Order: sequence, then C-alpha cells, then structure tokens
Amino acid sequence: MNDRRPEPQFDDSDTIGSVLAKKWRYDWRVTVWLFTKTALGPLFIVWALFAVLDAFQQYGGSFAQIRSFQLIVVHTAAVAVPAFGMTIIIIAGGIDLSVGAAMALSATVGAWGFLHGHSPTEAVCLCLATGLAAGILNGSLISSLRVVPFIVTLGTMMIFQGAGRWLAADTPIRPPLASFAPLADFQAPFPTPAWHIFSPGVWIMLLLAVAVSLVLRYTVFGRYVFALGSNEATARLCGINVPLVRISVYALGGLFAGVAGVYQFATLYQGNPMGGVGKELRIIAAVVVGGGSLSGGRGSVLGTLSGAAIMAVIDHGCTTLGIGDMYQDILIGAIIVAAVAVDQYRQRKMAAAV
Amino acid sequence: MFRRACLFGLVAAFAAATVLGCGSGERSGKRRIAVIPKGTTHDFWKSVKAGALKAGEEFGVEIVWKGTASEEDKEKQVQLVDSLAGTVDGICLAPIDRTSLVPPVVRAKQSGVATVIFDSGLEDASAIVSYVATDNYKGGQMAGEHLAKLLGGKGNVVLLRYAAGSESTEQREKGFLDAIAKHPGIKVIADNQRAGSDAEEALRTSSSLLQSLRGQIDGVFTVCEPNNKGMLQALENDNQAGKIMFVGFDSDPRFVQALKDGKMHGIVLQDPFHMGYQAVKTMVEHLEGKPVEKVITTGEYLATQENMDDPRMKELLNPPKAD
Amino acid sequence: MTDSAAPLLVMHDISKRFGATQALSGVSFSVRAGEIMALVGENGAGKSTLMKILSGAHRPDAGSIHVAGRSYAPGSPQQARDAGVAMIYQELNLAPDLSVEDNIMLGREASRLGWLLRREQRPRVQQALDLLGHGELRPDAPVRSLSVGAQQLVEIARALVHDAKVIAFDEPTSSLTRQDVEHLFKVIRRLRETGRAIVYISHFLEEVRQLCDNYTVLRDGRVAGAGSLAGVPESAIVALMVGRSVEELFPTVPHAPGDVLLSVDRLSGRRFPVAASLELRRGEILGVFGLVGAGRTELIRSIFGLDPVKSGQVRVAAKLLAASPRAAIAAGLGIVSEDRKGEGLAQSRSIADNLTYSRLKPYSTLGWLRLGERRAIVESWMSRLHVKARSAEQEIAALSGGNQQKVALARVLHQDAQVLLLDEPTRGIDVGTKAEIYRLIGQLAAEGRSVIFVSSYCHELLAVCDRIAVMSRGRVTAVRDASNWNEHSIMEAAIAVDDSAGGGNERPSA
Repeated sequence: MNDRRPEPQFDDSDTIGSVLAKKWRYDWRVTVWLFTKTALGPLFIVWALFAVLDAFQQYGGSFAQIRSFQLIVVHTAAVAVPAFGMTIIIIAGGIDLSVGAAMALSATVGAWGFLHGHSPTEAVCLCLATGLAAGILNGSLISSLRVVPFIVTLGTMMIFQGAGRWLAADTPIRPPLASFAPLADFQAPFPTPAWHIFSPGVWIMLLLAVAVSLVLRYTVFGRYVFALGSNEATARLCGINVPLVRISVYALGGLFAGVAGVYQFATLYQGNPMGGVGKELRIIAAVVVGGGSLSGGRGSVLGTLSGAAIMAVIDHGCTTLGIGDMYQDILIGAIIVAAVAVDQYRQRKMAAAV
Repeated sequence: MFRRACLFGLVAAFAAATVLGCGSGERSGKRRIAVIPKGTTHDFWKSVKAGALKAGEEFGVEIVWKGTASEEDKEKQVQLVDSLAGTVDGICLAPIDRTSLVPPVVRAKQSGVATVIFDSGLEDASAIVSYVATDNYKGGQMAGEHLAKLLGGKGNVVLLRYAAGSESTEQREKGFLDAIAKHPGIKVIADNQRAGSDAEEALRTSSSLLQSLRGQIDGVFTVCEPNNKGMLQALENDNQAGKIMFVGFDSDPRFVQALKDGKMHGIVLQDPFHMGYQAVKTMVEHLEGKPVEKVITTGEYLATQENMDDPRMKELLNPPKAD
Repeated sequence: MTDSAAPLLVMHDISKRFGATQALSGVSFSVRAGEIMALVGENGAGKSTLMKILSGAHRPDAGSIHVAGRSYAPGSPQQARDAGVAMIYQELNLAPDLSVEDNIMLGREASRLGWLLRREQRPRVQQALDLLGHGELRPDAPVRSLSVGAQQLVEIARALVHDAKVIAFDEPTSSLTRQDVEHLFKVIRRLRETGRAIVYISHFLEEVRQLCDNYTVLRDGRVAGAGSLAGVPESAIVALMVGRSVEELFPTVPHAPGDVLLSVDRLSGRRFPVAASLELRRGEILGVFGLVGAGRTELIRSIFGLDPVKSGQVRVAAKLLAASPRAAIAAGLGIVSEDRKGEGLAQSRSIADNLTYSRLKPYSTLGWLRLGERRAIVESWMSRLHVKARSAEQEIAALSGGNQQKVALARVLHQDAQVLLLDEPTRGIDVGTKAEIYRLIGQLAAEGRSVIFVSSYCHELLAVCDRIAVMSRGRVTAVRDASNWNEHSIMEAAIAVDDSAGGGNERPSA
C-alpha cells in the first residue's frame, strides 16, 4: 500500500518473460495477462467448453476426470515435443517441413537399433543422433544454398521419408517387446505406480519445456535466435554469426524431432518410416496457435504447449462427445485461422500506436 | 474489471464442470459400444457401419461410430481407442496395425473395457474377447486358385500389395502366393509393389507396373478396394482391360460393372455387413456374460461373371451402406 | 486556361492523429490551376501524412478537401486517382517486367470482355508521352530497361492518362542525375502550362527556388508559413522549417582532432564505392555528403564489412581490418544504419535486447545471461541518452523515431566503439532530438572518439563537422575543412559528375 513505485502495466507488447520480469511475485494480474494474452486462455476456454458440454450429456461426465486429463497430456506430448524445436525455428524466422519425416526416420533408426540387438540406451542415442543429423543437414543446406527453408525442407522431407523406407525395406520395423522393455510404458497414459500421475514421456516433455524456455530467455543463443527472426540484417550488423546460429537452430529442431521419434516409437512399438505424414502441419499449427509468427521473432514455449494442448483437447473432446472427425478438422482449422488473425490484429494495433 | 469478471466466469465454469463430472460418473440406460474402423471413407467401412447399426438396433445398444479419415494414421487410432475407452462399455476395433494397437487394447482391458477385434488381427490376442473376420488367407487362396484356373495353369502374374503392417491384407497376399506356388507353370514376376490407402497412389503404382512389365503380364491380383480401383483405372488407361486376367478383393459398384464388362474376371468378396453385425453381436453377448468363440469367420465368396446375378452374390456385391 | 483565381485543390483545417502523436493539426493548404506549390518541412513535419491523406491512404480526423470545387474524400488511392489526384513518389510504383504501355494503362486498360484493345490504348499512351515532350519513348519497351528518369516519365504519363488534375511529386529528384532533373523540371513546367495544379515536395531549397511559384512550410504538423517565393531569402525558409535559431539547432561541443585512427585506402565495392580513400583522426567528426545514390551508404557499409569489398584496404590504428562486421566490431568500429526499420533495429525485440546485441559478453557466463545486471546497465544508457520509454523491456516498435535512433546510437556506445559510422542519424526524427544527437556527437568527439557522419542534409554537416567529404557516383570527389564549404559549393561538388570521373580525384584537405 505504501509502495510508491508505479504499478507495472502489462499490454500486448509484453512477452511472458517481460511480464515475469516486471512482476515476479504472484499477482492476479499476471494470471489475467497469461489468460488474456497467451494461448492459455483459449486452451482453458476450449477445455471448459468440452467439460460443460460433456457434463450435460446423457452418458457424460467422463471428460472432467483425471483419466481424461492423463490422456490429453500424453496426446499433447506427441505434438508438443517436436513443436518445441519448431518454436525455436519459427522464432528464428524459419520453417521446417521435414520435421514429421525426420521424426519418423529417427523412430525407424531407433527401431532398427533395437532389432539389431543394441541396448535401449544405444538405440535411443541412435534415434536422437538421427534427428540431430537431419537438423544439421537442413541448417547447412539453408545456410549454404541460400534457398528459402520452405523449399529446402520440402526436399529433405522426401529424402528423410525415402531414407526411412529404404532402411526399413518399406515395412515398419517391429523389434521384439523384450528389446525395448524400458520404453514400453514411456507413453502409457496411465502409469503403473499411480502416484507418478503422468507417463515418463509427459514428465520429460515438461522438463524440456522448462529447458527451452530458459534457453530462449536466459542465454546468449536465445537472444540471437530472436534477433535473427526479428531482423536478420540487424543480427548481421551487430556482428552475430548468422550462419552458425541458423545451423544451430535447425540442429536443435532436428534434435527435438529425434526426441519425438522416441515418443512415436514408444506409442506405436515400431519404427514406421511413413509415421510422419501430415504430422509436420499439426506441429506447425501448434506453434502458430500458440502465438508463433511465421514471419519470425515471435513465439513462446508456453504458447506452443497450449497450442498442442488445444488440439489434443479438441480431438479428445470430440471423440468422447461423439462429434465426427470432420467437425473436429473444421474446428481446429478455424482456431488456426483465428490465431493468425489475432496475431495480425495485435501487430497492426501496435504499429498504429507508434 | 471486465477481464477479472471473465476470468472468474471461466473458473466457475471449470468448477461446475468438475463437480458435474464427478457427480454423474455413474452411468445408466443403454449400453454403449464403440465401433472403430480402419478408415471412414471407403465403401467397405460404410457396409460395416450398416451392419453394426443393425445389430445395435436389434440388441438395444448405442453404437458410437468413430474412425480416422486416413487408414494410415496409426498414432491417431491409438489415441482414438484410448479416448473412447473412457466413455463406452465395449470396443469393436479394426486395427490399422497389428502391433501398435496392442497397448491401447491392453489399457482398455485394464480399465474394464473389453475389445472385439474385427477385419484385421492383432499380434497379441491375449487381451481381446474375440476376432471377427473374413478368413483372409483363404480368400487369398481362392483368388490364387481362380487366377490359376483362368490362365490354364501357366503364365506370369503380378501381385499389387497394400501398405505394410495390415494383417488382413498380408494374409490375403500370403494365401494368394501359396495357392500360386502349387502351380509350377505360373510365375510371380512382381510382388514387391505396394500401394497405400488411396486409389490415386494405387493408380500411380499400377501404371508404372504395367509400363515396366509391358507385354509380360498375364494375370493380376489386387488385395483391396483402393488397389482394385487404381489397377482397373490403369488397365483402362492402357487399353489392356479385359486382355489381362484381373482378380480383385472387395466390392464396389464400379467393380460390379467391370465384372459385367469382362474387365475384371473375379472378385473375392467378404461380407462387411455381416462382419459389422457379428462384431457388435459378439460384444453384446460378451457383455451379457455369455461365452463367445475366440475366432469367428464371416465367410468369403468368389464372384465371377457367371454367378454374379445369383441373389446372394448380388447382395454381397452391393452390400447395404450407412453414411 | 482555367480561372486562376479559384484554387483547384483546397485542403481545409486538416487534422490527423496516430496514437499519441498529433501528426497534423489544422493544416490548410491550397493550390491553383497552373501553380507549382512547394511543400517544404523537416522530416516528420507532416508532409508525407498530408500527402497520404490527399492520396487516400489515410483518412483525416477532421477537415475537408475540395478538388475542382467538388468535395473530395477518397477512401483509397484508387478513388483518389479516379477523382483526378495523382501522386509521384520517391520510390517508383511500376511493374518492371511490363511494358511502358502496360504500366501506363495499368488498372485502366481498354478492354472488351476481358480482352485488351491495344489499338485503343496506343494513341492515348502516345498522346500522354507527347504531352510530356518524350514522344520518343517506345510504348512496348519493358520498363526494366529504362533509366530511372525515364521510368519516372512513365509514372507521370500514367497520371496523365488517368486525367489527373492535381499531381503531387514527393521528393522526385532524389534518385535522378542532374540531366534527368533538368528534364523533369521541363516536364513539370509543361504540366503547369496545361492548367494542372502541382504540389512539389522537397527539402532541397535550391530546387524549390528553381521550379516553384509559392511555398508552404510545415512544422510539427502545423503550417509555419506560406507565401510567394519571390524575394524570400533561403535562411528565412530554413528558420521557418526548424522553428528556432541556428545556434539552438546545432549545439557544438569543443573538441580537438588528434592522430589518424581510421584510414581507408582506395576501397572499392561490388558497384560502389569506387576507389574511395579517407582518413579519420581521433576526436574528429567527418561529414560525408552526397545525393541519394552517390554511394555514401555503400562506403560506410564496405568499411564495416557489411557489403562485399572488391579491392582496397581499411586500417584501424594502422592495423589492417578484415571485411566482416564481427572483425569491425572487435576493432572498435560501430555502425548506425540509415534504415532503422529494415536493418538498424529488430523492431519486435525489446530496447534491452537491441541495445546489447552487439556486446552480450559482459553479462554472460557459459552462454547464460544475467538479465538483472544487463537491465541496470541498459537503464543507465537510456537515462544518459534520454530515451523515453516505459521500461527497458519495451518493444522497439512502440517507440518514436527519435527514441529508436537513440537506442541505435546507445548500442554503438555500449559496445564502446572508438569509430562511429553514422548513416543519416537524424533522418525522420524531431528537431529537439536532432539537437540532442548533434550535442552527443560533439561530446563523443571531445571524448576522443571519431565519427563519420553521413547525411544528405548539408546544413547539419556544415554546422557539426570538422571536415566534409563529398561523394558522387561512388567516388570521394572532394574533402575540405567544413569552414571551406558552403551550401552552394557542396551541392556543386555533389552534382559534378562527369568532370571528376578521371580517378585520383581526391583534393588534399586544407
């Protein structure tokens, strides 16, 4: 009460980081800001909508149960993990269409490792290394050829898919269950000691979310990523090693695709070289719904996580409510368009305020 | 203040939903059975749906029909089974993949929801109530025998496979190859081509196959609806329809016409309507505590130009569909 | 000839506000048929806002416009064209791959059922080109193949085809050669004779005097003065433009140049600069003047390693400098780009980020940043340069042009640059901030830092710099002490193209 300092104000130009920097102690306005200016609000609205609709169904009531929550987070993790990598890439002003194929290729290589008697640790490392290598290839090609990432990664998408099909002889690689026993429950929605609450995959996803947030906010690299996406010319002017940063960004994106490969393997119990088809668009959609701007410079881990969760909630909600697949598609599509429209509106509003 | 009010409203809605959710946990009334096909777009599944709906009406259960649009999205089907398991009493599932769908079925069983598998099998059948399907191996054998008869015991044949990992089509492929192997005069000159779940891809694969083996092919077997469609179109485009002996699997109005026109020379038929009906019926019997067979076959039939006008064949060639 | 007493264009009491900035307040402005009206003012005085309102890009908050006696309220540039108002901008709006004819007729094609009727179009195009006195331009030539001057003619011809009564030229000469400028002036005078009303925007008072009949001066969104150009001294107009005396506008800090710190020896880039040589002493302010397109920007970008260097050397304190921005920063060079939006600043990032991008090392351990520490330093720079902002975390895009420029300058100071390369550092900012920046430059020189100050505004160079180099066509054509230059001689040196193209053209400085 006696504090004479001016109360901080939050607005559209803030980021999650700057809000927390202004007011690091808990304050209801922080919550309000998070719910009104990030995708957390829409996520909550969608969730509440389904919960209410479901509650009034004749057979309803299952949506608001913990079981349903556990399922949603597992489904979220499958999209969110590669989307974290995509968030970094999109913030840096890039795009990676090959993420789905890289993820499937990683899962296939991992499965190949399990099948050929490698230990689970080795196989998982193979999986991650495949993703990393795919990312480094993307980054190097984009940097050295000076071709737009959209085209380069469209090409590598096909390359990765073809490579996976070659390695797997065009059929999913199905290692025996015993060879990957430690991974069997990695993505199981209902973990066996119930006090774990979530599957190991979900916990690791949350750890990764925190790690990426911290890297984006508290490291020199994170600053350079934002600088590159916001204005590449400025980055060059300031003496930032642009090619190195760019390759690192895609390498990180690839590494996350590799991690996602582990998730996919643990879900399907097989390495499916075609398992990435269509996934790249969902991953990009998660970032965009979460406030990432395809023109670069904007995006957040919390947003992406919310974006992935919104889609998982809609999928799960429509399924439990018995709403058809097609309406589900329409709803998600509408949310993507709305998210982009809101982003544009905010940017115009800010530009006009100058 | 407005924002604060909005937030309060949201929190209230959340709380209400949770309370209502917990309160109405006890279910009552009709049983609910989820029927999950491999995909929703092909005619085959629409006939399965018609059969399932008929059984639902007959036995007084609610049918929740829910599938993925693509027949390749294994992850989506896993998620679907998991999501539905919480809201129904039993699941009838046509698994896209024989290994990937094992864990969700096991999870469903652990939470007290039984599963009947139909159309295509699972590698680990320990968690399921019953397997309701065509004897696909036998169907494939029938196709092989028929093609061998058409060719008079000698010639070159081509097998157009379906995407890898689907148990039902792999059985057909195996049955076909085993039947052909009994005829030393017949050589399989291509069996490594696969076409995915859409007719367009099948058309591309078929066209290039016909092109590369021009003049060498005497007979063709395609293992499912999209592949039939693609191959038929490719043969027509290439002016070879009717010249190459063509046996397919599963029906569609176009294939009936082709059979009549002599462009197809045999169609192995399943009974999708009966399959849907039988899957639901088996599940109902299980839920009522009756013992059920572990494996139930729903029959397989060979339609040719000669027998296609028999009333039973007519029904199988053009089964009832539900949209 | 139309009745010369009734103005063809009347803008009455126009006001426009953008967020917190009052861009225009109560501006009245009128042009008669057959009159060339000069619209002059500093950058940010409201000229372009006024023209955007005239062209339908913005709607005024208050006020009215009449064209040829009819009320006029365009909702879009298209409507403005239809009402007979045409704009010729600094950057040309042409489709380079289409022909002259297609460009002239763009949006007004003669057609039937979607088919072009070239036979109908051709005479109209030819008529417009003839009217401009350039019947020799071939209508089927692709615009890409034309010189900038000829391209401008195409744009003017387009206005004529659209039957424009009012034609506004926005800094039309900034990218033209001297001959092209002469041609353009002839064309504009012809347009005056045909009874059109011409608005001519420029800050070259020289040109204005040559061409125009009357003037209107805008300052801070208001009309600061207007009248006939005949008999009005240039200094009176400058005083109206800046709104204060010359001493107030250009504060100076005494400083004394020392030994040579930066030497540039016959530096050539891909196109510009051409064998440019310069020397810069410690504690010296060196101005670089040239018309737009003279290669000033390319010169300092080449020095900094941002543009590729073909030949030549740059030495800092006698040590050879590699051609890369990172090497330049390490050697103590700092650059402020002329293009704040496109290059100088990352618009969507915070002040703190933009200020420290070129030097994050002091706040990082193994790649991790200490944000609190950085924030304190950033805030101290913000207060030293009087950056007006809510906090260090505020986005750059939300700041005014002047405050943005201060952040760009602060970045160079924060990286502790000894040689500051400032490209148009006062462009697009208000007079008060300009004075602050001039004072800051003086202070930096007094601290012993060296400054290269690039500008196309010779008044500020004459007032602030120790020496001034003039560039033309990529070459440094003359370097003299500031006291040995005046506005006329600078312009002459800048325009003098062909007589100095022989190479070895650097005159020794006094």
